[in-house]
Amino acid sequence: MDEVAVEYIRRTVLKIPRDEIMAVLQKWGFLSEAQLQTINFRQTKESISHSVAQLCEESSAGIKQAALLDIIYNHIYPNKRVWSVYHMNKTGKASFFSFSTQVTINFREYEDNAIWIRIAWGTPYTKPNQYKTSYVVYHSQTPYVFISASTLRSNLPLLCQAMVVASNYHNIREMELRSHCLNSLKDIVFKRYSQNFQTNYPLQERNVLTENEDLRINDENRSEKERIHRLNQECFGDGPQPKLDFAQYKLETMFKSDPKWDVLEKKEPFRCLVKFSSPHLLESLKSLAPAGLADAPLSPLLTCIPQKARNYFKIREKSSLHPGSFVSP
Amino acid sequence: MAGGAGRGGAGADGTGVQMAGGRPAGSAIEMEGAMRTLPSSGRPSGTGRLSRGPLFGRNYGLSPGSRLLPPRCQEDADPQKTAFLLRKQWTLYSVSPLYKFSSADLKDYARMLGVFIAAEKQKGLAVDVDGELGVRVAMSGLPELRGSEQDPAAVLVQLSLRSSLSPKNSEEKLIWSGWFCCVAGDDLLENLPENFTCLPLFLVNGAESYTAIVGSWFQKTFDCCFRRLAISPLNLTWMAAMWTGCKVDKNTAAMELLFSVPHLPQPLDISYAIHPEDVKALWDTVQKTPGEITQEEVDVFMECLYSHFHRHFKIHLSATKLVKVSTGIASAHCDGIIKFLQSQYLIGVLMLLTELAISQIQ
Repeated sequence: MDEVAVEYIRRTVLKIPRDEIMAVLQKWGFLSEAQLQTINFRQTKESISHSVAQLCEESSAGIKQAALLDIIYNHIYPNKRVWSVYHMNKTGKASFFSFSTQVTINFREYEDNAIWIRIAWGTPYTKPNQYKTSYVVYHSQTPYVFISASTLRSNLPLLCQAMVVASNYHNIREMELRSHCLNSLKDIVFKRYSQNFQTNYPLQERNVLTENEDLRINDENRSEKERIHRLNQECFGDGPQPKLDFAQYKLETMFKSDPKWDVLEKKEPFRCLVKFSSPHLLESLKSLAPAGLADAPLSPLLTCIPQKARNYFKIREKSSLHPGSFVSP
Repeated sequence: MAGGAGRGGAGADGTGVQMAGGRPAGSAIEMEGAMRTLPSSGRPSGTGRLSRGPLFGRNYGLSPGSRLLPPRCQEDADPQKTAFLLRKQWTLYSVSPLYKFSSADLKDYARMLGVFIAAEKQKGLAVDVDGELGVRVAMSGLPELRGSEQDPAAVLVQLSLRSSLSPKNSEEKLIWSGWFCCVAGDDLLENLPENFTCLPLFLVNGAESYTAIVGSWFQKTFDCCFRRLAISPLNLTWMAAMWTGCKVDKNTAAMELLFSVPHLPQPLDISYAIHPEDVKALWDTVQKTPGEITQEEVDVFMECLYSHFHRHFKIHLSATKLVKVSTGIASAHCDGIIKFLQSQYLIGVLMLLTELAISQIQ
């Protein structure tokens, strides 16, 4: 009996919301329908997890089944992890590597050509620790790889090399794009979101303002509100935005101020680090101008995030021609 | 709750005392005596602009709406003694003056508070993890934490859990610390009637449940009133400006401002951190009068930072809520939470906080 595997399964079950445990176990398919019927799902989660563990023990569950359950759990709830996007290409020479550490690797292929790879890390001297895992999601028709390394970032180079060789590419580089929402990262790199575009059709007739239509209330700056709304549409597009958690800007631009203040006139950059955080960053930024907190159109530094497919930026002053604009290397 | 002004034992009502905001109903403060004899400046209490007239009694001829730069202590009296205060998160309260409190009786107070805590535990009100041997209370004075000889010495209260493993006191775990202090509280001290001790600032690190019990005992025993000390965005900008200007020897952390925009469909937080050398260079050109800082200078400083931000992002930071300021010498959160990072500026920061506490009491 593999105690480690059974306990791992029990802890995975504990992470699942109680109402969804049955569905996940069915997807897993290791326990039979008859076995699942014996579980009382009205108990506490703790008790349910013990019931499941008991059944797994009786059915001799091993690491392979435990790993599979973990993949299924992460596939259904990917937003519990932070994902970074990597891009592979064929320039340069292929490199060789040797895998000198003990690992457990499991695969599962899904309908949308996505291959989910789970790696549990050990060391050259110890067995893999099932609780120290990295996940790789690879869409075989594309050069993109989504990696959630969690612990042991030191294994990341090894992981990247393995990916390159396995997928028959030469090089891999980390893009400056990271988020909890895996699907949104895919939307961004696969260009599956509604992009901003200039249109010439007339402004929609629908009321862009509040729902309460009291005709006695006259909106003084209705035209301004409509202008802001239109500009927002142009920047952000019409559809739902991809879900990002944050955007970070390293500013190395010059400090310029109103001469009446008679302040700093340094020749060196004014070094800043700005970070925007939100449960849904792009929707949040989109609502700033209508709320009166920002000018419309919003700065291109913010609106370019989906097109540039990045949420880490380094901004330097653009030197000669356009003193007001910025360059992002 | 019955009881006159003076010391009392454990209350009979069995209710926990609310510490957050407002006075608890039926406390001894409502009784005659104590509070009514305190001077009142007639102004509404609560945080507001710090540059109100009487509070700047020690202006020493400065222009209105300004304050002195925080002093820097070159020679630390004993950095070891105050080292435990650094790099910990302290929650702030204002405390009205204590009636018939004597720093000579700290040992007695500690014993009485210990008895009180044990009684509360029996009533099932205290958080009690593994302390069959109970909580030990220690009270001590911190004479180095004051602005001048006129200030009363700071008082430190510490709760430790006695370990059941070793009967000797060597293996005690510190679970809660709270200290009262007063740094340059001249305004309140001047008009203080006899028998009152003024220690308007209270800082706490530890579980809220113990804070409630200790606060309750002090309130019943010395007829004082604790209130959470929030820090307004205006006061936070003062701290940002003052602390940016402080000279620090070693490499120090960036000056970080944290803004919150909660009322959007999706809330947004903005962190704006500036390299300490660059922001200090900016402040040095803004601050014109040596030795003092004016409201105008703080405003210009903030405007510069806001406009640099706006130039890049087209967002009006001034319309958002400033919730936290962090610099190399200290960090402050609008909920009234402070962290001290440099012992040489400890007194300076305490002086500012004492001022805020006094302003809330009056």
